[in-house]
Amino acid sequence: MANLSILIHLDYTLMIVAIGAALLGAVSGSLGTYAVLRRQSLLGDAISHAALPGIAIAFLLTGSKTPLILVLGAALAGWLGTLLILSIVRLTRIKYDSALGIVLSTFFGFGLVLHTLIQRTGNANQAGLDTFLFGQAATILESDVWTIGILGGIAIIIMLVFWKELKLLVFDEGFAASLGFPIRVLDILLTSLLVVAIVLGLQAVGAVLMSAMLVAPAVAARQWTNKLSVMMFLAACFGALAGVSGTIISSSASRIPTGPTIVLCATVVVGFSIAFALNRGLLWDWIRHQRNKQSLKVATDRLLKQPQRGSE
Amino acid sequence: MIQDHLDIQLIAIVTAVACALPGVFLVLRRMTLMSDAISHAILPGIVIAFFLTESLSSPLLILAAAGTGVLTVVFVELLQRTKLVKEDAAIGLTFPALFSIGVILISRFAGNVHLDMDAVLLGELAYAHLNRLEVFGYNLGPVSLYVMGTILLLNLAFILLFYKELKLSTFDASLAAALGFAPTLIHYGLMTLVSVTTVGAFDAVGSILVVALIAGPPATAYLITNRLSLMLTLSAVIGSVNAVSGYWLAYLFDVSIAGSIATMTLLMFGLVFLVVPSRGLIAIARRRTRQRWEFAQTMLVIHLFNHEGLPEAEAESEIAHLHEHLRWDPAFATQVVKYALNNRYVSQEETLLTLTERGRSVAQQALVQ
Amino acid sequence: MQASEAKAIEVTDLTVAYQDQPVLWDIDLDVPPSVLLAIVGPNGAGKTTLIKAILGLVRPAAGNVLIYGKPYEAQRRIVGYVPQRGSVDWDFPTNVLDVVMMGRYGALGWVRRPGKQERELAMHALEKVGMDAYTNRQISQLSGGQQQRVFLARALVQDATIYLMDEPFQGVDATTERAIVTLLQEFREKGKTVVVVHHDLQTVTDYFDWVMLLNIRRIASGPVDETFTPENLRTTYGGRVAFITK
Repeated sequence: MANLSILIHLDYTLMIVAIGAALLGAVSGSLGTYAVLRRQSLLGDAISHAALPGIAIAFLLTGSKTPLILVLGAALAGWLGTLLILSIVRLTRIKYDSALGIVLSTFFGFGLVLHTLIQRTGNANQAGLDTFLFGQAATILESDVWTIGILGGIAIIIMLVFWKELKLLVFDEGFAASLGFPIRVLDILLTSLLVVAIVLGLQAVGAVLMSAMLVAPAVAARQWTNKLSVMMFLAACFGALAGVSGTIISSSASRIPTGPTIVLCATVVVGFSIAFALNRGLLWDWIRHQRNKQSLKVATDRLLKQPQRGSE
Repeated sequence: MIQDHLDIQLIAIVTAVACALPGVFLVLRRMTLMSDAISHAILPGIVIAFFLTESLSSPLLILAAAGTGVLTVVFVELLQRTKLVKEDAAIGLTFPALFSIGVILISRFAGNVHLDMDAVLLGELAYAHLNRLEVFGYNLGPVSLYVMGTILLLNLAFILLFYKELKLSTFDASLAAALGFAPTLIHYGLMTLVSVTTVGAFDAVGSILVVALIAGPPATAYLITNRLSLMLTLSAVIGSVNAVSGYWLAYLFDVSIAGSIATMTLLMFGLVFLVVPSRGLIAIARRRTRQRWEFAQTMLVIHLFNHEGLPEAEAESEIAHLHEHLRWDPAFATQVVKYALNNRYVSQEETLLTLTERGRSVAQQALVQ
Repeated sequence: MQASEAKAIEVTDLTVAYQDQPVLWDIDLDVPPSVLLAIVGPNGAGKTTLIKAILGLVRPAAGNVLIYGKPYEAQRRIVGYVPQRGSVDWDFPTNVLDVVMMGRYGALGWVRRPGKQERELAMHALEKVGMDAYTNRQISQLSGGQQQRVFLARALVQDATIYLMDEPFQGVDATTERAIVTLLQEFREKGKTVVVVHHDLQTVTDYFDWVMLLNIRRIASGPVDETFTPENLRTTYGGRVAFITK
């Protein structure tokens, strides 16, 4: 009942923000599912940080702050970063984690250099960097909702169209190749979709917290189901739930930033799922354990009693 | 003015070396991303300690942050131990959550105190030297130099003291355990060091770029050497070079110092990656072309060797048909035959190739290797 | 290249190198139709690589592979593949039936989803390997042998003429081992050709009728009774110098 009254009292701006955050949560939740299953949870972290120089260069080249152009720059830089990580791993003995760490931090550092350069020319405002780091969920406009909806929708539709192929790629790459599916192309497609989800999500939670938006809904969803389609649907729902609840909570009190609140909501969902999910959850596991112990005890008691009786 | 230049560079170098030393072990243990996680996750620890001490360089703050850092490691490991979450996802869950708590604490309560997010995330090396240590009116230099210097000494002492244990537990954890070297203790010791170092480096470079200092120089050094002791030294040197060159780059273009140190780290890594003998990109490319011809000649002699004396030998050693059998480009096949003839691996009788004694021994050697 | 139609698999002068390191040197192998062929050799002999090269999964540095006289790309539909069990993440959120239906993905082509027909084929295959009771079981809850039988069922629904299997007997229970052997024999009776990477030298003569001894280069291949000789085995596994004198 309390929830309902909050919903009724939502004003229009908040409603738009909530819808935007929900859409972003749903998009990153569903695409993050593959990232988690491929053990690339932290690739999202790298891509989101690597996007900064792309945004700066796009701005330097075009002088425009049109979201679409900046998003394009971000996506290109994110892509380049991913490519570099994979090349370092393939060509040197540096392992994946170090390659990822280097690309993440140095691309970001280079972006910072470009950012101070732009700042010095007096072309931009300080808000730009904060927005990048923490998102600007509170300033989502109706037009942004349309952009998110259309781009995110396209990404999800593509993923659904190639559902069977992408599933096979993630589960058994070698078998997929033997059937004649071009795994390289599919791999690029999947990574591109991930880049789209990340670049869109930057608006809501920013670069630093983006990895949580990819990982948390998927990890929570995994606990409730053993079916990929259900997992993805649940992840989208959890992502949307975190988006909406984070927005509402942060608007209900002053000086609570939206992005971190969304992330904390997502984390709560994960914690709850890990603890209480049916079958897989920790509580369930504990009950099963106790029950086993109980039946074992009964069995051993019975065994122990017999010889005792015999010895009497 | 000159004093400023010197002070900032000195702070940068000391910070870089302090980060690079434990970084070597993180890179070798494939735990680089743990440092990324720690550097973000210690934020709530810093914030709470800051509320209590109202100073960014108090020892209590460093202790609190280091505690949070170790707690992060424990969280990640606990999550993994449930077997419900894989390691990468566990890291990706833990640090954003803790970081979010820190951010919310800051914006909720720290509005009036001096602790802004930019400083925490990005650092401000340009001002790091302004806070100076004064004793009885004597100016003894920047405080952060003393803080980082202490941390550097601590790292150095830990590594020198437990060098053998660190080495063993890095390369063979189970053997280390069997010998009673307590790899878990070493592991947590290292993680504590990383946490302490990260907090110290906050002032200078912030939490994102600290990863560049921790992972960059060791990874660059790893391209050059296999030896742990050399790798440690090289990392320190490379870290210092990155710091100084980054500083001057920033001075020249009037941009963020921390940002340009990170940029130099990437450039340095790229440069070494390109030119280092034996493992560099250029060396690999050159070796590949050379080996391509050698490999092709070996392939040719083995091909002849395998079919020698068999009924199909004649068909298999016909020059004109070689490219069909080996699926080589005809021009490539001609060139390979030419090289092989020059090397006297084979001899030509009309259109047929036969192995020479030398060619046969090359084939045999290739097959036993 | 005459009469290559009569050969199920024809490998000629195949050399595969990973970066600069040769893994297979100049391999020739002819596999006649409807034989059960075991590829044996020590660790690092290139057995898995050979299978992958036949499937076009690794690019050879030289040489050629033909399936019934045509390149693999043209014959994909008639080749089934059973990868090593350890090559996939068994914690992937899917169930037994779903994995088996993946065997039909090639025939379905792009975008089309498996339907009722695929489901029936999969059920039938699961019955054959004795896994029909586990249809909806999450794959992480299967034992090693059960996982292997799921992979076999997936290969079954591919309805191929040639099967390439990478260590199907690795770490399986006795029931599974019997199930695999029965299946292999059934395949042979139906005129199918099966190439199996095999580790257990003791069972080669019982389970297979052809054998290839491999150690970076082909040591020998042919019918088991002629080829599986102590001398050839010694050449493959032990005194590596022995074969040079030929």
